[in-house]
Amino acid sequence: MAGIQLRSVEKRYGDTWVLRGIDVSIADGEYVVLVGPSGCGKSTLLRSIAGLNDITGGAIHIGARDVTRVSPRDRNVAMVFQSYALYPHMTVRENLAFPLKIRKDPPAAIQAAVAEVAGMLELGALLDRLPGQLSGGQRQRVAMGRAIVRRPDVFLFDEPLSNLDAALRHHMRVELKRLHRRLGATVVHVTHDQVEALTLADRILVLHQGVVQQVGPPRELFDAPANTFVATFLGSPAMNLLPGRVDDAGLSVGGVALGWVDGVGKAVRGDVTVGLRPTDVVAAAPSSAAGASPWVGAVDVTESLGAEALLHVEIGPHKLVVQVPEPSPWRAGAQVQVVPRRVHVFDPGSGRRL
Amino acid sequence: MIVRWLVILAAVLALARGASAADVVVWHAWMGAEEAGLVAAAQRFEAGGGGRVSLVAVPFGVFDAKIETAIPRGNGPDVVIAGHGGLGKWARMGLFEPVDDLVIAPQMPVAEEAMRWEGARYGVPLAYKTLVLLYDPAQVAAPPKTTDELVALARSLAGDGRYGLAYEAGAAFYHAPFMHGFGAAMWQDGALSRLDTPAHAGALGLSARLAALGPTRPSSERIGQLYREGKAAMVISGPWFVADLGRPIAAAPLPIVSETGQPARPYLTVDGAYVTRGPNTDAARAFVSFLAGEASAIVRRDVGGQAVTTLGVSADDPVRTALAAQAAVAVPMPSDPKALMAWEPLNKALRQTQRGAASPEGAAAEAQAWLELLTRPPPEPASPTPYLMLVGVLGLLAVGRVAQRLSSVELRGQIAAHRADYLWVAPAALAVLVLVVAPFLVGATVSLFAHYEGSWTFVGLRHFADIVLSRDWPITSPMSFPFTLAVTVLWTITNVFLHVTIGVALALVLREPWVRLRAVWRVLLIVPWAVPSYITALIWRTMFDAQYGAINAVLSLVLGHPVELDWFARFSTAFAANLVTNTWLGFPFMMVIALGAMQSIPRELEEAALIDGAGYFTRLRHVLWPLLRPAMLPAVVLGSVWTFNMFNVIYLVSGGEPDGATEILISEAWRWAFSRGNRYGYAAAYAVVIFGVLFVYSRFTNRLLGKRVL
Ligand SMILES: Nc1ncnc2c1ncn2[C@@H]1O[C@H](COP(=O)(O)OP(=O)(O)OP(=O)(O)O)[C@@H](O)[C@H]1O
Ligand SMILES: [Mg+2]
Repeated sequence: MAGIQLRSVEKRYGDTWVLRGIDVSIADGEYVVLVGPSGCGKSTLLRSIAGLNDITGGAIHIGARDVTRVSPRDRNVAMVFQSYALYPHMTVRENLAFPLKIRKDPPAAIQAAVAEVAGMLELGALLDRLPGQLSGGQRQRVAMGRAIVRRPDVFLFDEPLSNLDAALRHHMRVELKRLHRRLGATVVHVTHDQVEALTLADRILVLHQGVVQQVGPPRELFDAPANTFVATFLGSPAMNLLPGRVDDAGLSVGGVALGWVDGVGKAVRGDVTVGLRPTDVVAAAPSSAAGASPWVGAVDVTESLGAEALLHVEIGPHKLVVQVPEPSPWRAGAQVQVVPRRVHVFDPGSGRRL
Repeated sequence: MIVRWLVILAAVLALARGASAADVVVWHAWMGAEEAGLVAAAQRFEAGGGGRVSLVAVPFGVFDAKIETAIPRGNGPDVVIAGHGGLGKWARMGLFEPVDDLVIAPQMPVAEEAMRWEGARYGVPLAYKTLVLLYDPAQVAAPPKTTDELVALARSLAGDGRYGLAYEAGAAFYHAPFMHGFGAAMWQDGALSRLDTPAHAGALGLSARLAALGPTRPSSERIGQLYREGKAAMVISGPWFVADLGRPIAAAPLPIVSETGQPARPYLTVDGAYVTRGPNTDAARAFVSFLAGEASAIVRRDVGGQAVTTLGVSADDPVRTALAAQAAVAVPMPSDPKALMAWEPLNKALRQTQRGAASPEGAAAEAQAWLELLTRPPPEPASPTPYLMLVGVLGLLAVGRVAQRLSSVELRGQIAAHRADYLWVAPAALAVLVLVVAPFLVGATVSLFAHYEGSWTFVGLRHFADIVLSRDWPITSPMSFPFTLAVTVLWTITNVFLHVTIGVALALVLREPWVRLRAVWRVLLIVPWAVPSYITALIWRTMFDAQYGAINAVLSLVLGHPVELDWFARFSTAFAANLVTNTWLGFPFMMVIALGAMQSIPRELEEAALIDGAGYFTRLRHVLWPLLRPAMLPAVVLGSVWTFNMFNVIYLVSGGEPDGATEILISEAWRWAFSRGNRYGYAAAYAVVIFGVLFVYSRFTNRLLGKRVL
């Protein structure tokens, strides 16, 4: 087992920068989830760790070893591709045995290892089928099995669950968590799915345009996003961003003074970008004294999500999404009083957290 | 091939139509100066009020086929100008009008004689051609009088890339002077002569000694080039050699054969003008008698450089003087079609002795055996009754079966319901019927008949028995079917193996990220496929030339000493030459298929294998190849069928050398049809056997692949 050190990793295709100055240490046995919008370089970073593409600058260490110039064959990493990349002409058994056969393990050892993995992933009944005869979830488990069977130092998962339906994805998420606990291996997992990121990760790494935005435990990223990008990227529904001002009387948005709302640093002064999670707001009837907020607007649209509803509220020129429990009394056109419980403030120029 | 035919046909038709009905239309195959001489003579004729003449030059290679098909259909010319070698066949076919009563200027007796066939005179002689000894006056002070002198002189002049004597020693036409000088003959008193006489053996021995003085199997172009460069002191050739040399040349009659004291007597061919059966006979007769006359003869001599047959028109230059002297002892070329049968055995014997593969006596005996096989009378006619009965029974069975199936109401209903669909496929079905099924049935029927000098005999399955059981040759002979089949199979397997290996290897290289200018390479590598195969084959043939070929030149460079390997003297090297040529032609197809198939194999599979720890060859073997195989197998099946029938390469590169050993089934069938006395039935039986072999192969591969490929 081994951790991973990325030291100023850079990747460039001609003039196109894909990764810039990635400096991250991943501890041995840690589960790190890599998130970011499409095209931000997640796969590239993963493939760089695997050695499938050369990096233009920096160094990569796995364990104590500098593997920057080492062939993928010798890095002792296992990768699960988004497409699974199962060998279509081999049965499940042969797919699972392939890495060991190449390593020239004795047949008995191979058989035992395959049986163990098959048991772990409930593949026993599928061993003699070809990948084409499997469902998406079964294929995913075979891909996982082929990675596990080698007992590598590092697992690399590139959106392994993206092809699955919601139920299966949930099931596999739990499986992954269980597996990780059992194997104790280092994992780097790329995903688009926030829930996946938040539930699986020891730490989340947010990437944007090839630059690391923030690395930390899910709670930390959620509670203290380092910038507006991370703030809006994580959390669903997304955080509201509004222009505001902090003066001696506290925070005001669109001329309406809201006072010292939780989350506004006492030292902050001047123009700010205010981040307000829809879940950190309470909606009340305008007349009620629930929060006695001076912030009143009209409900434009309502969306029901089952247990909750989202209200799109127009306050002056600004739009605000507020989450309320169902059944909600609010209808379109109704006047509503918005009470912020907690806000995040960011520098309006750089987007950094203040 | 077909395209060339069509172009020629179109040109001929256009010219024929352009001429008005009263024009005398003349077809000839003269080129260069000879053609100019003919044009000038025709102008004289027109100027003298003889009526209009339209001259059509037909390419030599298609000349016989043109006149043999056009004249019987009434599309032919009024006058044909051609050598007298084919006269027997043409007279028998009734292409020409006898002209016994036509009065012309007196001609050389031997030339007059050549124009006659079975007592009748069919044409007027114009010019004659024969072989003489041509030499470079700068190198040869006095021409040798005897063959011993010839050998000694040639030896003294050779060295340093120069030859004392260069001629097409491997062709029986060039061997004929010495054969006759030894007192041997191919054709005498209206019959084929035996080829296994001591005189023949002696002549073969002499030819082998003479051949050794010159380059190996030179083409006529090569000899001309050698002479122009001053690298051939003496040449045995005819008047056609002298034109456009740009170097002084002198001529003398061929030397006396030292062994017998007799002169070497080459064949003499006479180019005559023949009047065809048609409406324009009178004008045509007037034109040919003018052509044979003195005025025309002088023009043809002076403008066309011809050795004319008209008496009294003297030979006015040294070459023509030598030709005239040679003509006095020359032997007229036999014009009986039966005489043609002796050429192939004699050619073979010549090449065998010159290669040192057989003693002159052995080669002569083999040539005689070969001649007897070629000329043996056709098999006894078989009774067609059993065959007709069999066909009748099979036909009845087929009709019964169809009737039985049609009696099913369900099927009739289905046919009625799909009437429009049947109509849609009808044109395609008709095309297949006319273009594939009908020729096949005709071919299969022809295989049951023996064709012998224009007549057909029903022989049943006799040809198949002869071929498959190899009744005429021991199975170790290159002529036998099992031998040829074995060569064909070896040919197919080695070719396809190389095509696939090289094609896939190149596709793999082209995929590599470090390859620059990928698109350029891809196009370059497909070029061999885009060039017509016969052009490629001819180019490779010259590259394998023993003295001047690029291959030997490269080998000389690499090995550091001169290599003059005669590629076509041994089976292994001749086969290799064919193989290299066809591999050049065949790998691009496999490369294109492999490239296409690789596109559809996700890169991630190989990346997965790489991460799993597989090296390059392991990935190739366990991941790439298994996925490539389904796409390659149909290509392999197709490629093997093409290779199995790859006539062009065999015919144009090795030509079957040595002794037909590198012949494959299809080229062997061709030889039976077109160069061994038109044994169409035997050739058709070969074609049916080829079909049978490929049919079995395709069933077998279908089963092997578990799906229908062919
Ligand atoms: N071979 C290449 N040449 C040039 N640019 C490339 C190449 N491969 C990837 N890129 C670019 O690098 C950037 C990052 O690609 P990458 O595949 O890492 O994105 P990603 O974050 O995995 O996106 P997704 O979530 O859609 O999978 C993209 O803008 C892509 O266009
Ligand atoms: Mg990706």
